[in-house]
Amino acid sequence: MNALASSSASQSNARRLTRGALSQLRRVPRAGWACFLIALVNCAIWTVVVPPFQVPDEISHFAYAQYVAETGKLPPEQNTLQYSPEEYSAIAGLFFGDTIGRAQMRGIFTSAENQGLHEALAQHPSPVGTGGSTSITNQPPLYYALEAVPYWLSPSHNILFRLEMMRLLSALLAACTVLLVFLFLRELLPRAPWAWTVGALVVAFQPTFCFIAAGVQGDNLLFFASAATFFMLLRAWRHGLTLRRGVLIGLAVVAGVLGKLTFIAFLPGIALALALLGWREARRPGVGETPGVGQARGVGQARGVGRARWRGVGQALRPLLAAAAIILIPVAVYAVMNVHVWHRGGLTGGGLEVASVNPTAPGGHAVTLRETLDYTWELYLPRLPFMHHAYFPAGSALTGTWLDGSIGHFGWLDYTFPLWVYTFAKYLFAALAVLALVGVVRLRGVLRPSLPMFACFGVMALGLLGAIGYAGIRYRLVNGVPFEQARYIFPLLVFYGLFIVLAANALPRRWAPLLGALLVVLAMAHGLFAETLTISRYYG
Amino acid sequence: MTAGRLVLGLALLLVLAVLVLDMSGSAPRGTGSDHVSPVSFAATVPGGGNVCQPIVPLPVDAARAQLLIGTYGRPVPALGLSFGGPSGTVATGSLAAGGKEGPIIIPIHRVASGEANSFCLHVGGHSTVVFGGEGSPIAAATELVNGKQQGGRVSVLYLRSGNESWWQLLPSLDHRFGLGKAYVFGDWTLPVLALMLLGVWIAAIRLLLHELRREARA
Repeated sequence: MNALASSSASQSNARRLTRGALSQLRRVPRAGWACFLIALVNCAIWTVVVPPFQVPDEISHFAYAQYVAETGKLPPEQNTLQYSPEEYSAIAGLFFGDTIGRAQMRGIFTSAENQGLHEALAQHPSPVGTGGSTSITNQPPLYYALEAVPYWLSPSHNILFRLEMMRLLSALLAACTVLLVFLFLRELLPRAPWAWTVGALVVAFQPTFCFIAAGVQGDNLLFFASAATFFMLLRAWRHGLTLRRGVLIGLAVVAGVLGKLTFIAFLPGIALALALLGWREARRPGVGETPGVGQARGVGQARGVGRARWRGVGQALRPLLAAAAIILIPVAVYAVMNVHVWHRGGLTGGGLEVASVNPTAPGGHAVTLRETLDYTWELYLPRLPFMHHAYFPAGSALTGTWLDGSIGHFGWLDYTFPLWVYTFAKYLFAALAVLALVGVVRLRGVLRPSLPMFACFGVMALGLLGAIGYAGIRYRLVNGVPFEQARYIFPLLVFYGLFIVLAANALPRRWAPLLGALLVVLAMAHGLFAETLTISRYYG
Repeated sequence: MTAGRLVLGLALLLVLAVLVLDMSGSAPRGTGSDHVSPVSFAATVPGGGNVCQPIVPLPVDAARAQLLIGTYGRPVPALGLSFGGPSGTVATGSLAAGGKEGPIIIPIHRVASGEANSFCLHVGGHSTVVFGGEGSPIAAATELVNGKQQGGRVSVLYLRSGNESWWQLLPSLDHRFGLGKAYVFGDWTLPVLALMLLGVWIAAIRLLLHELRREARA
């Protein structure tokens, strides 16, 4: 009886949560859905503009998803062939190896070459590979399990058709990310609806974001889960941590953790944010109080307050426990299955194990903590005099990797805008940074209540930047080539939207929306010329 | 609000003007290659000798062939290029002696219809020259120097005739855009995507104008 009652209660809870989520979706302003649709169509266009497998690492991401779709298992990561015979046939027919990294080379350019590709695929090479180890087979499976859905729903079994269907899922995730940027800004600046649209649209047209959204690439789920986490944490901070919000935070975080290992870098900041939310919830007046407690007197009053406080703690713990359960149970199941079912070399499928290996640095020593810290610092900031190593020419990482990379290092990092574009962008971003600072001062009253949560976001961001540095120095020493790419900081995309909105807010209220609209037009132009550049790269 | 419309309109006109200007730039345009990149010197050919190599079919609109040549500082010798297929020579070209080493362009002319699946390059003079390409193990697809199979492949990039703007190249772009993708895509794809992008722009601008109007009312 008890089990039946508990099952019925949990079903009713689930129904209530679903109804609540649907009602929340209905409350999203029309402008939010418009931004979502604009982003969806824009990214869908990119999925056709970029030739198959030309998004970084797309061959490996596709191979992982195809293996999951075809076998129902995760790649065993053995030292065998990495791709299926079908994928090998496609990449050979597309002249993939001749094209990537060589800006002057093109893929298929003539009908005869196209016919050769389709004839090779018409031989029906097997779509089932052996799941050999690639740079991404140690990643968790959620994105690839999701990609298995369009893979199987595809009306054609042709690999290129399936690839296009899978790319559309990435575009959908990108559009959801844009919607979350919109909602994040709505939470932060509830009295400036124009700012929500401006922030979301600059992200929707950001060409490096769209380029990644054009491909089968696990980063798309990472960006989505990160934006969802930032949004839900901010919402819980502003409106209170209810059970439903706890569940949604848990879902966002688990999507990130099971989407890409990079997300783990956010966990200390998320834990801090949850602790802050729980602490505030437990102290909230009225939480746990029962009618009459306020009127109690003497010893009875003290006991009543004590009981109420404990009830308050209990109520605050409920959403936290729900979030923790939603995160921990699937992650634990994944870890156990990695070891006992899929035999993938450790709890994280070899992902963290690889990152923690301390390779031998040149000079015959292991990478030290100091070297790691120096490297990480220099990735984002100018080198300080006491730092022994100069890993990058002065200031080049900040502008060369992060800024220039965000403006556009496309393909397998093999084509870029003309040099003057990056020079112009440096001045523009410097000006926008000054404007954004003015915007922060002007909006300080609106932003101040969210400062504690922003401190947690700061810890999350530091975690990400630190993780990039930690992995970067090891990768560079082992492989001799740079590791960092601008897209690695794109889990922080909501703050790019915020940055532009703050810059627009530097102007008086009358002119701020117009500046914001002009910045969106600039972002649209940026996206347009990135597309013409891409067309000239692959078809011109 | 009117000022906002005006400013946004001017910004859009500016973007359109830059796009038109960008598309109007005239330059040599490629039409494919033998899919070998000139990353190193891959063929050493003595003066008076020749290098031959199988290729993917010569594009029909190829009017010039670009190669990378190294002459050790001497002037480039006379070069004769011919593309052949099952039915004999399909296209030929030549370059007079005297140029500087580096990238060179040899004009080519179709002499017969049919498909070319190999080329031969005759090197005049008496000095050894090297050609850019990629190293690879000896195989049926690698180069033959004076009839002897070598490891390596010579890079040949094909160019269309003269200089062209992107507007002039649009029909070719449109055709190429539909290649190497799922079979549902074709010549229709690029124009349809352009229209979709126009729709996205119109939607975004309308949304911005709506926000500006709302803000003006507030």
